[in-house]
Amino acid sequence: MRSSLHIATRPSLWGLAFLRYLRSWWYMFHLGAIAVVTALSPATYNRGTRHVTARYIHASSWQVLPWFTVLSALISLVIIRIVLVTAMSYGLSRYALEMVVRVLVLELIPLSAALFAALRSSMAFDASSLGLARAGLPTAEVNAEALRRLRRDLVPQLFANAFSVLSLAMVSSTIVLVLAYLNVYGLSPWGLPDYTRTVGRVFDPVVTIGFVLKTVLFGLAVAVIPTAAILELQRYPRRLASSVQPGALRLLFVLLLIEGASLALKYI
Amino acid sequence: MTDTTPDEPAHVETKAMILLGLVSALIIAFVLYVMYARGVFEPTQRLVLTTENSEGVIPGMDMTFAGFPIGRVRRVELAKDGKVQVLVDVSKSDAKWLRASSVFTLERSVVGETRLRAFTGILDDAPLKDGEVRPILRGDVTAEIPGLVATARSLLNNLESMTAEGSSVAGSLENLQTLTGRLSGRYGLLSGALGDEEAKKFVGTLQRLDGLLAKTDQRLYGKKGVVDDAQAAVVELQGVLQDARATLKRVDAVLVEAQAVGANARVATEDLGALRGEVDASLRKVNRLVDQVNRKWPFAGKNEEIKLP
Repeated sequence: MRSSLHIATRPSLWGLAFLRYLRSWWYMFHLGAIAVVTALSPATYNRGTRHVTARYIHASSWQVLPWFTVLSALISLVIIRIVLVTAMSYGLSRYALEMVVRVLVLELIPLSAALFAALRSSMAFDASSLGLARAGLPTAEVNAEALRRLRRDLVPQLFANAFSVLSLAMVSSTIVLVLAYLNVYGLSPWGLPDYTRTVGRVFDPVVTIGFVLKTVLFGLAVAVIPTAAILELQRYPRRLASSVQPGALRLLFVLLLIEGASLALKYI
Repeated sequence: MTDTTPDEPAHVETKAMILLGLVSALIIAFVLYVMYARGVFEPTQRLVLTTENSEGVIPGMDMTFAGFPIGRVRRVELAKDGKVQVLVDVSKSDAKWLRASSVFTLERSVVGETRLRAFTGILDDAPLKDGEVRPILRGDVTAEIPGLVATARSLLNNLESMTAEGSSVAGSLENLQTLTGRLSGRYGLLSGALGDEEAKKFVGTLQRLDGLLAKTDQRLYGKKGVVDDAQAAVVELQGVLQDARATLKRVDAVLVEAQAVGANARVATEDLGALRGEVDASLRKVNRLVDQVNRKWPFAGKNEEIKLP
């Protein structure tokens, strides 16, 4: 397997490298599709799976939700203040609220939730947790064991990771919406009709569908990509070119791709 | 089968269910709130606004009345006649502000969004019906800019030529400066109005006039002045008048006498009339006498008449 180390540096092997690259992406999509189909089939939800799912949800969402919410609220508060004060100094305070909602709720919060969930839970998906990496077991036994554990763990973990992104984004977005209202109108309830109208103007059908779709895609990416990368490593063992967690770079790339595509669809 | 581990936290499933329920409720509430915010649950009536140009009009923008949003642009479409149709949903509760005589304007400003506004002058007018079609009056600030810039440029040019060195305004200002300098000088306002030399002359004239007035005063009201003479003349005149009055009385008497003479003359004239009558009668008598003599006279056959002279 020394070839894998130098595969990118030898022009004669570039074709092979490209094929391997394509296979890797295909494997990722395949695994994602299997996971979604399995998650949607009722047979998956027996008592054992439910318990495992609950455990993963507890780890990826319940434990991080308070901290993430507090941190995102603090940072959002700073950003809201900056936007409000700047807009006010230019006499554009009418547009401040809309900008806060657009920038924070639609863009920054989902992206940061996705990154946080990726760092907290999906990157923690390690082959060692399956208890078979480099255990010295024969390949056939390793594969059998991996399949057994995958059936039990993969779908709950994917579901939990996707749910983590969704819950972090939704809770933080709600908190930010409340914070934005309090910052603009104070504790008075009389700004509510105006505020509701502004929110209604921002969330037109295209933007709302885009927001939901983006959050779901973020969840899927965070759930599937690192897992797929690690499992691919198990299936097609090769020496790693770097010490970066497998799939981390690809996850960042896909997240940025989704974000860029959503921005392009909304504003171009 | 349950795969519990010793370090597993308590009530994992309950917590997961709570979280699932919470997030689901949040998502449902959020969707309902957005739907409410976009006026999905609000009964509305349709208003169709027509205009030449849809620039700046986007679906979702508000239509305001007195600054309050009362409707939303639902769709912008091109009609068969090439005009733009802006379909606005006005909430039923706010439709009372729109009347048959309402006017709708579309204003584009340099900074910020385009604004769609409604104005109602007569609130007692008939209410606007559902699906009513109305024209929009456009107030495009940006369209005014080129003209404004051209006018401003010519204005600035004029201003520049007016304030340039040697221009009329500069000359006027210099003159004004000279004037104010003179005003604060020795002869003040006079100097400003007439110039130093003339002001000096004027002041000299005034002084002479002053002396003249003093002299005149003396000549008029002083000892043996004109007024004294005039007074004496008046006294004298009084005497003359008395004389004149006496003379007039005498004239009056003469006139009375003359009147008496006139009366006598009239009587005499009347007597003359009687005398003439008598003469006439005497002549007639003589005439008759002559006729009789002619008839009786022996020479009556000779037809010789005695002719009176």
